[in-house]
Amino acid sequence: MNYSIEFNNIIKRYKLGKTVTSVRDVFRNIGSTGQAEYHYAVNDVSFQLKPGESLGIIGPNGAGKTTTLKLLSGVTKPTSGLINVNGRFSALIELGAGFHPDLTGRENVYLNGTILGMSRAEINERFDDILDFAGIGDFIDTPVKRYSSGMYARLGFSIAAHVDPDVLLVDEVLAVGDFAFRAKCYKRMDDLRAKGTSLIFVTHDMDAVRRVCDRGMVMYSGKSVFEGTSAEAVVAYSDVIRKAAKKASQEAIPSNKSTENGLAQRVMSFAADITNVSMFNSVGDNVTTFEPGDEASIVVTFDVNKDMESPVCAFSIRQPDGTMVYDATTRWLDIDTPSYKAGEQGKVEYKVRLNLVEGVYNVGADLASHDLSCYIDRVEQAMGFAIVNGTGAKGIADLQTAVSFGEKDMETA
Amino acid sequence: MTTYSSNRTQLGQLIAHKDLLISWTGRIVKARYQQSVLGGLWAVVQPLALALIFTAVFTFVVRMDTGEIPYIIFSYSALVPWLLFEQSISSSVQSLVVNMGLVSKIYFPREILPMAEVAARLVDFLIAFVVLIGFMLYYGRPIFTLNWIFLPVILIVQLSLVLGIGLIGSALNVFFRDVSHVVILILKVWMYATPIIYPVSLVEAQLASRGAENLLSLYFINPMAAIIESYRNVLLYDSGLNEYFGLAAIISFVVLAFGYWLFKRLEFNFADIV
Repeated sequence: MNYSIEFNNIIKRYKLGKTVTSVRDVFRNIGSTGQAEYHYAVNDVSFQLKPGESLGIIGPNGAGKTTTLKLLSGVTKPTSGLINVNGRFSALIELGAGFHPDLTGRENVYLNGTILGMSRAEINERFDDILDFAGIGDFIDTPVKRYSSGMYARLGFSIAAHVDPDVLLVDEVLAVGDFAFRAKCYKRMDDLRAKGTSLIFVTHDMDAVRRVCDRGMVMYSGKSVFEGTSAEAVVAYSDVIRKAAKKASQEAIPSNKSTENGLAQRVMSFAADITNVSMFNSVGDNVTTFEPGDEASIVVTFDVNKDMESPVCAFSIRQPDGTMVYDATTRWLDIDTPSYKAGEQGKVEYKVRLNLVEGVYNVGADLASHDLSCYIDRVEQAMGFAIVNGTGAKGIADLQTAVSFGEKDMETA
Repeated sequence: MTTYSSNRTQLGQLIAHKDLLISWTGRIVKARYQQSVLGGLWAVVQPLALALIFTAVFTFVVRMDTGEIPYIIFSYSALVPWLLFEQSISSSVQSLVVNMGLVSKIYFPREILPMAEVAARLVDFLIAFVVLIGFMLYYGRPIFTLNWIFLPVILIVQLSLVLGIGLIGSALNVFFRDVSHVVILILKVWMYATPIIYPVSLVEAQLASRGAENLLSLYFINPMAAIIESYRNVLLYDSGLNEYFGLAAIISFVVLAFGYWLFKRLEFNFADIV
């Protein structure tokens, strides 16, 4: 089987410290020094992609996503491991890389296109398609400094998408641009994949990953902590991060050095641990099946490790593919919460009416600090429940449709 | 092999990106003159202004003997290649640092950046050279003689030296920003160590008066001395290359080879240093 990308047991580490200290450091081979401290930006990560496959890489800031992209694009070399990219490669890492504001759109197409590895002849050939896709019309002969950010992004994306690559890397550049243009970009990515282009998409945007990728990988602290379908990865994301962060905080050797370098990532403070999330029906039985319109309580209990001043409590209900059904926090609802002391046990009860159509749903719960500066604890998939005996209506919300027909008026007929 | 796979050699990569070199050079040239009224004329104004200043000083203040050659062409003919040297080096040394955003994100052969800076200055050189021809016509000097076939040879040697220094300087400047300051300082001194505002005969006479004629070869360790003298030989005296030109060529090619080797060795550390 031929892979278009092989990324095998890749390790990329950086030496910790300010910057280069002596001329000798520059020339010295990395790895030959004994007692230096290292930061592992990517730690033993492997994946392979066949032509036409797509992989979404998600993870919090500093998880190693950007380093992975840099390694794939060949900007930097791995400390150890093997990277194989077969075929032509294009990276959408920065829209309009190398654009000069004083040059016209046309001049910048040639500039950016050659940076992305196209020849002038190829650009000539594809120029009309590029212009067409960007949809900026006569502005092509205007200096790009007079472009709106949307036009800038459209031209940038259009060039990169016309390299006709065997492998396309996409960083979260699509955050810019309007909705319609984004849809167009996704469509273009689908088209390229249908033609056999392998796609790697690195983003924070969970919906985009579900939309564009068939496979998903969650990275945390330089490691791949989850691999599966993109829908699974999206749903697993928060849980995976929670577990990884918790493990790290338990094992943690407090190191000021790594925080100074901005390398430490604390997604959650764990001033409290969510110990249980359960649902009860209107008569107080602990159940997991309901009917549309049933009243239910979601009860969240937690152990308090550190004093917390009126934390923000929240819960969410999602569909299995990750689509948000309902999300509420005490902050949004403008509800005061009590303060807790270390050692106490807390309990929050959310009373809800489940106006949902038949299907399976997941409940998530979280606690955040009063000023919302960090999560205290967060469980994305705490439990699942099912709605049964629906009316047959589809969608998410059960709007309890009643149907009636007016009496037929014979006289006007 | 623990590397990014590529079936191409380093030079093959560079050749595959030749269109990038062309468009990046175009970007520099266009951007430089885009919003200026004089545009490409600035390529002439600078050497001309310097030549006029030196002419004023060395004709009216201190008399500099340049024989039958008017001092203005004497200095202008050396200032044009000298400015190519000086400006190419100082802008190529900055080329990686200025474009760090690109370097840390997208791979392309990084030597394109210093090479394009040199190529862009070559455009200036050619413009200024056309004006030099005008000067020579005005002063009735012979042009397009047979000896002019040496000009491309001299230019190639000079560009090798420029590019070699540019590659070394730009790579080191990524790690130590001091490099660009040091380079500017060295270039200032270097100009006076090169026969630009004075003729080599003056150096010879000074050495002779102290009985140290054999030190002249030491003076020509500076490859720019033989390069500038060769330009003058061809342009002003209708003769061939300077006798030390061979040495200058060897030094230039060694510098280029070393520069390329060093640059390629450090290339993959560029993106790790931000």
